[in-house]
Order: sequence, then C-alpha cells, then structure tokens
Amino acid sequence: MREFNYLNPASITETLEFLHTYGEKAKVLAGGTDLLIELRKDEGPAGLEVVLNIAHFSELQYIKADDEWIRIGSGTTHAQLATSELLLENIRALAHAARTVGSPQIRNRGTVGGNILNASPAADTVPVLVALDAVLTFKSLTGEREVPITDIYVKPYKTNVRPDELLTEVAFKRLSPTATSAFIKLGRRNALAISRMNVAVILDTDANGNISELRIAAGSTTPKPGRTRTAEAVLIGQQPTEELINEAAKKVSEEMIAITGYRWSTEYKEPVIEALVRRAICKALEVRP
Amino acid sequence: MKKTMLNLTVNDKKYTVEVNPNQRLVDFLRDELNLTGTKEGCGVGECGACTVIMNGRIVNSCLVLAAQAEGAVITTIEGVKGSEGELHPIQQAFIEKGAVQCGYCTPGMVLSTKALLDKNPAPNVEEIKEGISGNLCRCTGYQQIIEAVQEAAKRLK
Repeated sequence: MREFNYLNPASITETLEFLHTYGEKAKVLAGGTDLLIELRKDEGPAGLEVVLNIAHFSELQYIKADDEWIRIGSGTTHAQLATSELLLENIRALAHAARTVGSPQIRNRGTVGGNILNASPAADTVPVLVALDAVLTFKSLTGEREVPITDIYVKPYKTNVRPDELLTEVAFKRLSPTATSAFIKLGRRNALAISRMNVAVILDTDANGNISELRIAAGSTTPKPGRTRTAEAVLIGQQPTEELINEAAKKVSEEMIAITGYRWSTEYKEPVIEALVRRAICKALEVRP
Repeated sequence: MKKTMLNLTVNDKKYTVEVNPNQRLVDFLRDELNLTGTKEGCGVGECGACTVIMNGRIVNSCLVLAAQAEGAVITTIEGVKGSEGELHPIQQAFIEKGAVQCGYCTPGMVLSTKALLDKNPAPNVEEIKEGISGNLCRCTGYQQIIEAVQEAAKRLK
C-alpha cells in the first residue's frame, strides 16, 4: 500500500481549499472501491501526498427533482440509486444500472461520482447518463462550471477534469411522462462482474406508436462513451419493426468498428452488441405505459 | 506518514486508536483488535470474505480505510453471537444445513445474511441470492447456504 497522509475536511469549502493547495498531489476518496485498489497497486498519481476523504458528506448524497431536472449528488451511492423511487419511476434504467454494479457491499460504498470519474469504459451508470445527455457540475475555489458528461472523457481511465475541481452533481432533464428506458449488462457472471458490454436505451412513442424519441448509448465498445446517433436516426419517426430494430442495432456495431477498427475482440463484440441493442430496444418497448 | 486518531465502536465496544493513514479497516480489525474472524480473500472487493457491517450496511472492509470508519458502528462476525456466547440463529442454521465446509467465506456470508434478514425478514430465493451475491464460496455450491438463510429466516420470526 502506498504511503500518504489522510485529511478529513469538515466542509466542501475546506475540500476545495485542500484541492487548491495540493492539486495533483491529492486524491479525493469517497467509496474507495476503485481508489483503494489503485493505491494498493502502487499506481495512482506520482507524488501522491494526501487522500481527501469526502465519504462523510451527506450534502453530496441526494436524488431530487424539480419540474425540469433530476439532480443527483456526486456522493450518492449505487445502493441509493438502485432503490430510489424517484429514479425507478422516472428513469428506471439508471436505478437498474446502479443495481448491477459489483455487489451489495460495493454498492453500499461506491458512488455515482466515482463511477463517472474513474472513467472505465465498462462503467455501468455512465451509458445511461450519456443517453440522458447528463450535465456535470464541478466546484473549485475559482468558481463552478457545468459540462456535458461526454466532454470530460479523453481516453479509457482518463478525464480532463482539473486537479483542483470537485464533482458535486450530475443532472439531467426529465423525460416525457410516457418515455421508457432499459439497461442491459453483459458480464461473465451474474454479480461481482465488470461489464463485458452494456447498453442503455431511452425511447418514447407517439399516439400512432411511431418512435418519437430514441437514445442509444453502449458501454465497453468505444474508448469514449457516446450516443450512437446513426442508430437512433434509423427508428425516429418510424414504427419499431423487427427490420428497423435490426438495422439500428447494426449501426451500433458499425459505429463501434468505425471508431475502434477491427480489434481482437470485434469478432465477438460485433454480433453481441447488436443482440444487446435489439434486446434493450425491445425491453424499452415492452414497458411502455 | 502522520498517524490519525480513530474513534469507533466495534461489536458494542468503543475504541480510540491511532492508525496509519493507509491502514485498511480489515487490517485494523485483524491486527489492532485481534478480531481475526474477518478474512481477506482477494483484497480488491471481489470475494466478500472481508465483509463487515458498518453503520447498518455490509461493506468490504478491504476497501475502507480505517480512518474512514471514524465514528462508525461496526459489527464483525465476533459480534454476532449472543451476550451469553450462544450462537445466533443464523450461525445455528448454517451449521445444521451443512453451509460451512472450509469456513473461509462463512463470516462474510453470515454478516451478509444478517444484513439481509434485518432489512427483509422473509426473502424469496432471488432476494437471498442477491443478498449474498457479494460473497463467493468455493466449497458448497451455495445451495446449502441458501437453505441456511431460509432456515434462519424461519427461526428469526
């Protein structure tokens, strides 16, 4: 285990002061389910001096809604997301995704902020948040900024977040009352599994049953997460026929290969991501009110 | 490294101990408090052998820094038996249903079971499986463990 000093800031402001002072020499510690593993491997930032504990900040643990937005504190645990009535009613895919993370023990500690900032391509809440066009709020001594979630990702495990910034909130616009969502995770086992691939789908239909809204975001398929708009375009304004669903699914695998090229895993991932997308779209269609 | 003072309650006993900043809760429990019932199986949160109950919820103690347990109320496997030393109904059920083979996963399994039944006194099989999904067992194949949890739920009614 690396050596470091431990600071337990009494407030968010004190946390920001420490981040300002220590910058790259500090690491923020919330649930610790990623960071502690990193620290044991002697990895992590060179010149790490202090670990800043923020796990005790109840002011970062909230899930709330107003007329337009749903706002989630960065310190909210996956267990809290998984059992949130608000999320289950409004965007159940996010609660479901959180429920698939690790294990009950991991979910009791791991946070949505950590899931976002760890920047694993296999993160489970991220595809849903990407599909939601979620916005992140970062605080620092110099102020506050809001940024679309997809803007922070540089490459796997790397973000462009400044060392003096603290992620405080992730927020997204509420969906239409008739919109539905689905999340499917493919892992090597039913629990304690990292996603081999996953996909989030949000959709809405009009009075005629045509797709009026469709958002598709796959995980563990590309270096940076994003919505597959070419796939979405196939179904917008159309009846969700088997043919069109297949076509949309194919667009996701094509997009993946266009970005990553033909890799060692593509032979497996190409047909499987198509199947996951088909299943997620069908799942979202099934649960329509 | 600058040591930090830790105040916490473990199995109903209060402790004030100086800890190194980089000491994990699992090491603190085993090495400082000699509570060796909590095991380390993987050190990366993937097996659950290090499970303890912290502030009412199960956590992997290999992923919690001891210092983060400031003010926490912790139950380890040693804290499960009764005040006269009698086995908890969960422990009895585990023994009677053959859910203990090598025993290495058992402390974690018992604590996850306790946390499950404290919240959900009558879980169905799917709920039991989810409740213990963070605890790996290499010996039993889980069937006896699931039956033990069902038996414990009956006895605790």
